[in-house]
Amino acid sequence: MNNKPLRPPGALPESEFLATCIRCGKCAQACPYGAIRMAGLLDGITLMGTPMIQPRRAPCYLCMKCTTVCPSGALRRTVKRKEEVRMGLAVIDKKECLAWQGTLCRSCYDDCPLLNEALTMDQELRPVVNDKKCVGCGVCENVCPVESSAIVVKPGGKG
Amino acid sequence: MIIIPLLNRKGISFLSGSFYSLAIGPVWITDPLIGLQTLLTTVKADSALLLSLLIPVALALVFGRVFCGWVCPQNTLSEIMDRIAERMPFKRLLTPRARALPRYIILIIVLAATLVLGFPLASLLSAPGIISVQTARLIYEGTVGLELGLIAVILLAELFLVRRVWCNYLCPVGSMLSLFRLKRTLKVFFAEDGERSCMRCGECGSACQLGLNPMIGAIYPLCHNCGDCIEACDKMAGDRKPLSFKF
Repeated sequence: MNNKPLRPPGALPESEFLATCIRCGKCAQACPYGAIRMAGLLDGITLMGTPMIQPRRAPCYLCMKCTTVCPSGALRRTVKRKEEVRMGLAVIDKKECLAWQGTLCRSCYDDCPLLNEALTMDQELRPVVNDKKCVGCGVCENVCPVESSAIVVKPGGKG
Repeated sequence: MIIIPLLNRKGISFLSGSFYSLAIGPVWITDPLIGLQTLLTTVKADSALLLSLLIPVALALVFGRVFCGWVCPQNTLSEIMDRIAERMPFKRLLTPRARALPRYIILIIVLAATLVLGFPLASLLSAPGIISVQTARLIYEGTVGLELGLIAVILLAELFLVRRVWCNYLCPVGSMLSLFRLKRTLKVFFAEDGERSCMRCGECGSACQLGLNPMIGAIYPLCHNCGDCIEACDKMAGDRKPLSFKF
């Protein structure tokens, strides 16, 4: 895995996060959806033991339980509302997206936790990401019916 | 350690965390080594983190390194290894004398590397932390990580090379805890006067999991205050109690 992993909500910027996270696993235990996994040695020795979210497996539903249990402040306790979260940014692959290719589909739009804010529909009923509102939770990536998901969260590392 | 992830999975989260950092209801407890590490890597103090260090530091100041002997899962595994090794038909290769200096040098190297690299190295070297996190991972995800390799190396080394090599010579978590020692911290006290005569049976030394000898003294900072030597002494010497816990 060469890309930066998607961190739980409230995470510090990646380099600070790696220094601050003590790899205690409390966030993974706190997550009621089992969405937070602990990175292993195979993910890289610097990432080993840190929490990450793979939206295709299970996305973040923004319950914000993990931020309240983090003992080191790697997940900032000050991030309390889901609107403040910036885990990453959803990016639509228009060549793959069913709606952009002319089929009727609004899976991502319907399930977005920030309904009609982070994802909106344009005049021709195609989903558009609002990069000011999108929190990067990955619910859209999770529900996309396209085989490898036409909408993917790019980890933002701004928490 | 096994109960916590099972309870958490059922939605009961009164107890949560691992031996890096534990939450008992609203009370947070963080391993002092891990706390110091985070201060070094982030160069700033998180108030919740600092508060969570109070309990383990106070515990160590009053009762000594009781975490090592009574709580740490690595200690339990090492004790089991020791029992097995005793039944093996061969002797372990090396029998160095237990000394405190090498372990403090290791602690300093680990902390210095943590500061220079800005990377939480100590977390990767905390045997109790690794064991507890990987146990939770096994329960949650059904897999364990290669972090357990360190534990395997420790156990093999203890079986074939040096008795209790990790706890006695290397473990940075224990070294850190042993720093919190005052004159009045609980200790194993050897007193030999008229009524408390010692008959030099040596049972205390052979009872000691770490191979320390309470009759010679100078067992700190290596002693975990586990009490095995005192128990063995009571069996032999009865009420005379040449060995006892004392503040």
